[in-house]
Amino acid sequence: MEPIFAHERVLGPRFMGTVNWRGLWTLYLKEVRRFLNVFTQTLLAPVITSLLFLAIFALALGGAGRQAAGIPFIEFLAPGLIMMTMIQNSFANTSSTILIAKVQGNIVDILMPPLSASELTLGIAGGGVTRGLMVGLAAGLAMWIFVPLRIHDPAVLLFHAVNASLMLSLLGMIGGIWAEKFDHIAAVTNFVITPFSFLSGTFYSTERLPETWQIVAHFNPFFYMIDGLRYGFIGRADGSIVLGLLAVPAVNACLYLLAHRMFATGYRLKP
Amino acid sequence: MTPFAARPPAPRRFGPVNGRGVYALYKRETVRFYRFAWETLAGPAISALMFLAVFHLALGGGEVRPGIGLSVFIGPGIVMFMMAHGAFEGGAIPILFHKLEGMITDVMSAPLTPLEILAGYVLPATGGALTIGAVVLALVAVFVDLPVHSLTAIVGFAVAASLLLALLGLVVGICVERWDGYSAVETFLVAPLGFLSGAFFPIDNLPEKVRWVFHFNPVFQAVEGFRYGFIGEAQTSLALAALVLAAMGLVLGLVAWRMLAVGYRIKP
Repeated sequence: MEPIFAHERVLGPRFMGTVNWRGLWTLYLKEVRRFLNVFTQTLLAPVITSLLFLAIFALALGGAGRQAAGIPFIEFLAPGLIMMTMIQNSFANTSSTILIAKVQGNIVDILMPPLSASELTLGIAGGGVTRGLMVGLAAGLAMWIFVPLRIHDPAVLLFHAVNASLMLSLLGMIGGIWAEKFDHIAAVTNFVITPFSFLSGTFYSTERLPETWQIVAHFNPFFYMIDGLRYGFIGRADGSIVLGLLAVPAVNACLYLLAHRMFATGYRLKP
Repeated sequence: MTPFAARPPAPRRFGPVNGRGVYALYKRETVRFYRFAWETLAGPAISALMFLAVFHLALGGGEVRPGIGLSVFIGPGIVMFMMAHGAFEGGAIPILFHKLEGMITDVMSAPLTPLEILAGYVLPATGGALTIGAVVLALVAVFVDLPVHSLTAIVGFAVAASLLLALLGLVVGICVERWDGYSAVETFLVAPLGFLSGAFFPIDNLPEKVRWVFHFNPVFQAVEGFRYGFIGEAQTSLALAALVLAAMGLVLGLVAWRMLAVGYRIKP
């Protein structure tokens, strides 16, 4: 069609290759800006909470004498708390973004654009991972003021930080798609995520558990994430490091496929 | 003659207190509490059990003071912690929600005095907190063999602390204008008051110099008084605890009452 006015330009279709990079980047930025907009709730609050946990455990111990796994308890505790904070916040970020979008109806804004299921999964998970890493870093720096944190193996540390944030982001996404009301996601948070993040060796060495529970603990992926991150700091692990390096990405791959499938079929997303 | 004579209903008469109005507000918030029982009741119950498990595993049992096991010491602290938190949430969230959604006009235009409105918000929050306390206490008692020293102290401090925190919640709910503000108050004021209240650790572990600061924390006074009801000893004098709770409750009650009366941040 001829333009009516000479200076008017016709907006042609945008061409993209196999991946809609601009769309993916836009979705990611939207996710990050969403939580940065309310950073008191999403960054500051978790850091303060983890510092309070550090304080009560340090005080409850009654002096510096107590040790866990051969090192001062407080140095044992700090990595566990960092991981717990990352777990809870990555999950909260992706589950809330999807559920709020579903309840308010603006989920169409991400389902309508030319974004494939993998781009949706990666874009939203990226937001959750970013929040997890930012909260973890902030909590770590805040604790460093009070606890002498040494880094034994930065590669393992980073590996587990990224993979744990990714796992919980994917879980949050799956939970958010499955849930239909805020009640549902509150139940998942209360009965699954919080107990797992509390009871997977955050506050104690699993050597303290009775024999049978130790075996159960070794089937829990959260245990490998907490144990692995702690290894990155203190250089000592309860379980096998190699197994953790293999198992956690394997779980992530399965969760990714599930989340991808949900977006592809529109399970509880499209009418 | 019309079949349905349009006679306006006679005006309802009530004495100095609009009891039915207060009851209606009470019932509305209590129904809300039970409708969201997964979050309001089951959440604290699960958290309480996890705190108990974690402290037991991390600290490996043992005794806090001669004759007082760690679980017996922490158990009442956890119950009070959950009650205090529930009371604050129950006091703050409803009024903030009503303000944001514009429903506050329904309350403000009803024939209720400021004091009745105050009661209509604070009583259900207190009732909810006491329900949380009863449920958590029952669960803790399953795992911990709790002695009972003074039932009066247990009930008295439970009611006083719930009322105080509900009033604090109401004042905060009136003052803040967004969820962000509420979250900030919860993070920077209420969470520290709760965690640093001696609910989870005996303050004898602290250096002498900082111990006196704790006495200004009403949650500390409430925890110690409540725990006295079980184990029969406290780090503070019971009279002081009762005095602090009563004085702070009175001040907050007056502030909340004046705020409702003048419509501070409620009426345009």
